[in-house]
Amino acid sequence: MICDHCHERPASVVVTQSKNGKTQERHLCDVCASHFHPFQGDFGSDPFGIQQFLANWIGGGIPQQAGRPQSVEEGPECPTCGLTFRRFLERGKFGCPDCYDAFRKELPQVFRKVQNGHAEHTGKVPESFSGRVSAERKIGELRGLMQEAIGSEEFEEAARIRDEIRGLERSLAEGGDSGDVD
Amino acid sequence: MRFGAWSGVSRKEAIPVTSIEKFLQNAVTPWMGSRGEHSDIVLSTRIRLARNLAGHRFPIDFSREEAEGVERQAAAVLTGEGEPFSCIRMESMPALQRQVLVEKHLISPQLADPERPGTVILSDDESVSIMVNEEDHIRIQVIYPGLHLMEAFERADEIDDRLEAKLPYAFDGDFGYITSCPTNTGTGLRASVMLHLPALSMTNNMARIAQAVARLGMVVRGSYGEGSDALGNVYQVSNQITLGKSERDILKDLRDLTERLIEQEERARRALRERSAVKLEDRIWRSYGILCNARVLATDEAATRLSDVRLGIDLGIIEGVDVSVLNELMIFMQPAFLQQFAGESLQPGERDVFRAKLMRERIAMERGEKDSPEE
Repeated sequence: MICDHCHERPASVVVTQSKNGKTQERHLCDVCASHFHPFQGDFGSDPFGIQQFLANWIGGGIPQQAGRPQSVEEGPECPTCGLTFRRFLERGKFGCPDCYDAFRKELPQVFRKVQNGHAEHTGKVPESFSGRVSAERKIGELRGLMQEAIGSEEFEEAARIRDEIRGLERSLAEGGDSGDVD
Repeated sequence: MRFGAWSGVSRKEAIPVTSIEKFLQNAVTPWMGSRGEHSDIVLSTRIRLARNLAGHRFPIDFSREEAEGVERQAAAVLTGEGEPFSCIRMESMPALQRQVLVEKHLISPQLADPERPGTVILSDDESVSIMVNEEDHIRIQVIYPGLHLMEAFERADEIDDRLEAKLPYAFDGDFGYITSCPTNTGTGLRASVMLHLPALSMTNNMARIAQAVARLGMVVRGSYGEGSDALGNVYQVSNQITLGKSERDILKDLRDLTERLIEQEERARRALRERSAVKLEDRIWRSYGILCNARVLATDEAATRLSDVRLGIDLGIIEGVDVSVLNELMIFMQPAFLQQFAGESLQPGERDVFRAKLMRERIAMERGEKDSPEE
């Protein structure tokens, strides 16, 4: 019998899971079973998550182009690592940072699927990427915090945030997009 | 039975040893000894930031040379003179030692995989562990006791800034921090809290809660083990979405959710006490009796009993045992830790005997310490 999870190695362990009163048996190999060992403490990953999800979705995700049936099947290919969009969907993992550029047109729909409808980053921006963008974002964020502070009548805190905003605006006005912007 | 590791090596003044021995010998991760906010219900807070270097393939596809290049660059930033970090290559450790680090939550099972290159950079107090060449090139992890999402995030953020100043991070104007898996893209932030929810579990509320949590774009799962059955009633709640929300919003939503779960757990505890006080006390004392007396204890039973006793301590039913001892035992009773402590490899059956002995003697020791000052 082959492992139910990796479908590669022979199964050597039977894992019994009970969920909502129903008992389910899975046959796993040593390697995959170790991931289900009690106390293995894997905080982040769910082995049955993304790959399965994206793999089921193949077909609807690849844009059709006329004339080149073979390469259409695979979708765009990353020039750096050679990963095709189809292969990406199958395994649920990018090959290198340049894949994001290669699949730029297709990615928003992928992200909307796996990120609850979101496709655009609104969080931290590294200084090295753009001190200015980062400072502008930070100012926006601080303004929000200032409003909250005012709302809860924490005026000292609001004043402190206001000064921080002014400092940032000053350094932006001076063209200082270097590391002195916190 | 050797209790050398307990009596001989105190948590703070460990004898001078090479860095890896220090991390293996410490009975308990230093943060477990201290207490954090809501520490009766929230065991720990964890922050993880996923980062990658431009111009290198991700670990799933990269070559050994690339792996070493990434490792060299990351280690160079953090392990200079006077830095509180140690750099430990997975290859330099036997499988059992790697497993001990997994059981202490300092590294992931994936990093411990002997077939892949990987390195961990650990802070001396073990609150920070930076995994190099796991699924992403760099994963900054901070674990704090109790509920401290903002503080833990700020610590991770500060290390992130230091790394970013020296390393060419892969970042995209639209998609944010670039990661190997699209479920981490954007902030690369996974924030989680580990909660002990015995009353909600006993009253069969966890399945309902898991569904409600999922609707909020977050996920609750057993912290140890898989599926809806959580070993020792320890659950982990974390954000699912990393894109389209700022770090602060992710943290705020998780904090709000955690506070609601704490309230519900407290309510369930009150209800149990009011409606089935004797039954509850009986269960707690039975579990205490088993931990103090059993001669054979498998992992899942030990976890259940520890959970009951922990609840007993929280409710003031059991006195004279500190919760930190239970934190210790929860870590200690795991297979690799047990064998590391025994100083030999143990068959599963032998482990259960050793585990039972460990519980008995540690609790007896704790009670002895508490009783003696009164004379």
